[in-house]
Amino acid sequence: MKPEMRQKLAREPFAEKIRKVAQLIQLAKTFPRRTNRHSMNRTGR
Amino acid sequence: MASNEPSDNLPLADVLRAANGLVAAGLIADWALGGALAAIYYVEPFTTYDADIFFIPSETGLTAGIPAIYAHLQAQGWQVEREHLLVRGFPVQFLAASGLTEEAVREAEHIDFEGVPAKVFRAEHIVAIAASVGRAKDKARIEQLLSQADLDKSYLAEVLQRHKLRLPTL
Repeated sequence: MKPEMRQKLAREPFAEKIRKVAQLIQLAKTFPRRTNRHSMNRTGR
Repeated sequence: MASNEPSDNLPLADVLRAANGLVAAGLIADWALGGALAAIYYVEPFTTYDADIFFIPSETGLTAGIPAIYAHLQAQGWQVEREHLLVRGFPVQFLAASGLTEEAVREAEHIDFEGVPAKVFRAEHIVAIAASVGRAKDKARIEQLLSQADLDKSYLAEVLQRHKLRLPTL
């Protein structure tokens, strides 16, 4: 993703970003990958 | 008492409301959202599977009041799963703050999330905490915050100096 697009996402309202996190979690559940829990560590907890 | 039915949305407002309830009940003195969800306040959204609530204990005992916190939230329908408490199926970790994280709680930014007053760690403290932990994912978080958040560089330098920390080579 282009840096400008990432910056735009970063500037969205917190509530909107939280909704997107929920969508990402749903996607991860729908399309599980063996590396999900590890790959999230690149940016997640 | 809040419903504890699993939700497709992140029940963050419930989490923040519950943390405020712990203050009202005298079980904790203060708190703030930390961890990945605090980082997401400043950067693009990414996948995370829990919420970290850092709190300043009301009591100074060894347990930091954690048993009473668990009992209070379980009475409201929260469930326990290992080190997490679950609200609507979403894991939440309550962590006693000390040192750098206690400073992060005290100096956290006041926000309003869906009508719930809350506090979230300042971006500079998230960077400093990541620098103090130093795992690969912490370096990635620092890189992300440096590129996407509006950091107060002089405040960050003060925090790093106060806690004898240095930013890792990215």
